[in-house]
Amino acid sequence: MTTRTACVQCVDWPVVVARLGDPSLCEVPIVVRERVGARDLVRAASREARAEGVRAGMRRREAEACCGEAVVLDADPAAEARAFEKIARAVETFTPRIELHEPGRLTFPTRGPSRYFGGDDALAAKVLDAVGTAMAGTGVTMSTRVGIADGRFAARLAARAANPVAVIAPGASASFLAPYPVISLGDPELAGLLERLGLPMLGDFAGLEASAVLARFGRDGARLHALACGHDSSPAALAAVPPDMRFSMELDPPATRVDSVAFAAKSLADQLVAQLEARGLACTRVLIEAETEHGEQLARSWWHDDGFRPAVLAERLRWQLDGWLAANAPDVDDGDVRAQQDLVGLAESGLDSTTGALTRLTLAPEIVVPVPARQLGFFSGDPAAALRADRCLARVQGMLGFDRVGTFVLQGGRTPTERIAFVPWGEPRLAVRPLVQQGEAVAWPGAWPSPSPTRVFAPGLAAALLDEHDAPVQVSGRGEASAPPRRLRCAALFGNGRVADVVAWAGPWPSDVRWWDTGAHWRGAHWQLLVDTGSSAGAVACWATSSATQATVDAIYD
Amino acid sequence: MRAELSALGAKVATVQLAGERRLAVGGELGEVLTDGVQRGSVVSVGGPAGAGVTRTAFELAASVTAAGEWVAFVDAGGTSTLGIAAAAELGVELERAAVVHDVPDGRWPVVVGALLDGMTMVVAVVPPRLALGDARRLLARARERRAVLVALEAAPLARAGAWPAEAAVRVHVHDTSWQGLDAGGGLLSSCTARIDVEGRGMLRQLARAG
Repeated sequence: MTTRTACVQCVDWPVVVARLGDPSLCEVPIVVRERVGARDLVRAASREARAEGVRAGMRRREAEACCGEAVVLDADPAAEARAFEKIARAVETFTPRIELHEPGRLTFPTRGPSRYFGGDDALAAKVLDAVGTAMAGTGVTMSTRVGIADGRFAARLAARAANPVAVIAPGASASFLAPYPVISLGDPELAGLLERLGLPMLGDFAGLEASAVLARFGRDGARLHALACGHDSSPAALAAVPPDMRFSMELDPPATRVDSVAFAAKSLADQLVAQLEARGLACTRVLIEAETEHGEQLARSWWHDDGFRPAVLAERLRWQLDGWLAANAPDVDDGDVRAQQDLVGLAESGLDSTTGALTRLTLAPEIVVPVPARQLGFFSGDPAAALRADRCLARVQGMLGFDRVGTFVLQGGRTPTERIAFVPWGEPRLAVRPLVQQGEAVAWPGAWPSPSPTRVFAPGLAAALLDEHDAPVQVSGRGEASAPPRRLRCAALFGNGRVADVVAWAGPWPSDVRWWDTGAHWRGAHWQLLVDTGSSAGAVACWATSSATQATVDAIYD
Repeated sequence: MRAELSALGAKVATVQLAGERRLAVGGELGEVLTDGVQRGSVVSVGGPAGAGVTRTAFELAASVTAAGEWVAFVDAGGTSTLGIAAAAELGVELERAAVVHDVPDGRWPVVVGALLDGMTMVVAVVPPRLALGDARRLLARARERRAVLVALEAAPLARAGAWPAEAAVRVHVHDTSWQGLDAGGGLLSSCTARIDVEGRGMLRQLARAG
């Protein structure tokens, strides 16, 4: 039996939060961006920006091309979560069993509240009213949508389609979901496969036999099939929460600021996930509880479809604490006695739920699912070695800083510096300019030929490339050298005043890059040189660049 | 009691053959280091600038990542950086090659020590005036963790010092000559270098082509 669930979705929540912070941004097109790995993507866009063609998930540059006058802001998930606490409290007046999915979206089971308030439609209208009242004083307009259907997945899609309320009758969720594309399930790999099999819609996928899906696509496939059929999650996938799985921590001294508990929260999250992992479980819903110094009990559930990872759980925990503590401390001047009295009155009437610092923090898993046994890699190295390397690199990151440790990814580009992208350890290894796009290798005409130099200088070392009369070699607009290069002077590499003889050379290869961008425009010519320094080292091979004003040595073969 | 237990532990531990304690080295460098590199030891690589010290380090790293193991490069920072594109061309699997950059000289022993805990090979330019005590500690750590420290004794532009402690193998690269480039034409294609390898019971001079 699938639980009737309501989903409350605040449309463009990041935009609303940006406007709450800065009222001058109302009526102005806004694009909120976030970094995903090395890419710069649009997280949300305001209605005005969407009208110009900006979509979430677009690259920032594309968005700016669509809507030039838009104000681009950085995403601030912590502020979004903090502001969402107000909405969560407004909805909490109807039912205590709300689950937060992400800032801007929450769900709750409707069975009890629907009966009390006279049906799903009446409940949805009341929830909309309450959210509207909560946002009334802020002066920011926001559209909220409520969808009620069987299960969280159907409710979410119903909320997306709602205007502003959509109630899908009990048992009708499967037919409601049928016309949606399979990518809605949130698994691009499976969606691609299903499309190639000729099953582009959820209805087509749901039409398959459950046992056949399990045999062909495994447990994950079976779970998604159940979602497509309008069942929430198959009962077989649930496991009992092991007893004594509450992780609790006294906060001494009591915490009034989130940064003072962030570290404790992280270790609590690590502990919980590690304990569950040891039993082969992952947690999809976690209850965060806190106690204040005045004895109030606060509790809130968070949901994550794929099971919480330590970093994700710690982030949710920090957001939640921030939400509680921010609500606890409105900006009141110490001298403002009246405002303080108001605050006390507010607290006594029970409207504001926190009145003091937090003294205790508890994490308890509410819904756990078994994690299928992990298949160890056969071709891509020893998994134990990878685990050891991960631990050790994370430790060095702790010593030196997050972006000092990482790996490199090969990407498209012309010079050795352009051809690699640094990815800090722990971030997804994504290239800014992928080598293969849509199944085809991207050509880079003008790229330096192989073999690549083993030492690269960034910026290039100041040098002088001279002809036989000791005059600098100039390269004309047509790419012709004024004279063959004979000598190279580079104080940093060969020592002050020493001149190396050019034994052999190739070039010049003229290069005119980014002529459309006045700031980054550069013209010059590249040379491959073999120079004799006169020392025991023999001839040294290097790459040099000459432009109108100066010459540099960019890389050497060492 | 504890001593007895540890003696028993040593008896029942899986037998480790000498071959498993060595890392095979492939490519042209493998013709010089025919027996590979002993795990838990230090390999020092030196030579004049432009001779091929970095290239030799990349070749050692490539044979480690090809075996599914992990390698870390410690880059001194500043203007001179490792040409990672060249590392990839020489066969280093970038997925398993971590780079730590801008390590201050003072923290070099700590960082390299931490990396030896989790990596099979650590390639690092030796800072000038490295204390003998620090070097010995790193050597002991490498031996305990069965990792290899490749100590580069020269790097273009970077201030480098000599490895002050014992090294199982000392590699010296010199007399490099390049082919393929002419006066005004052609492209660099290959190089040959002389590699002296000095270690327990071996003193070899070999030329290699690359």
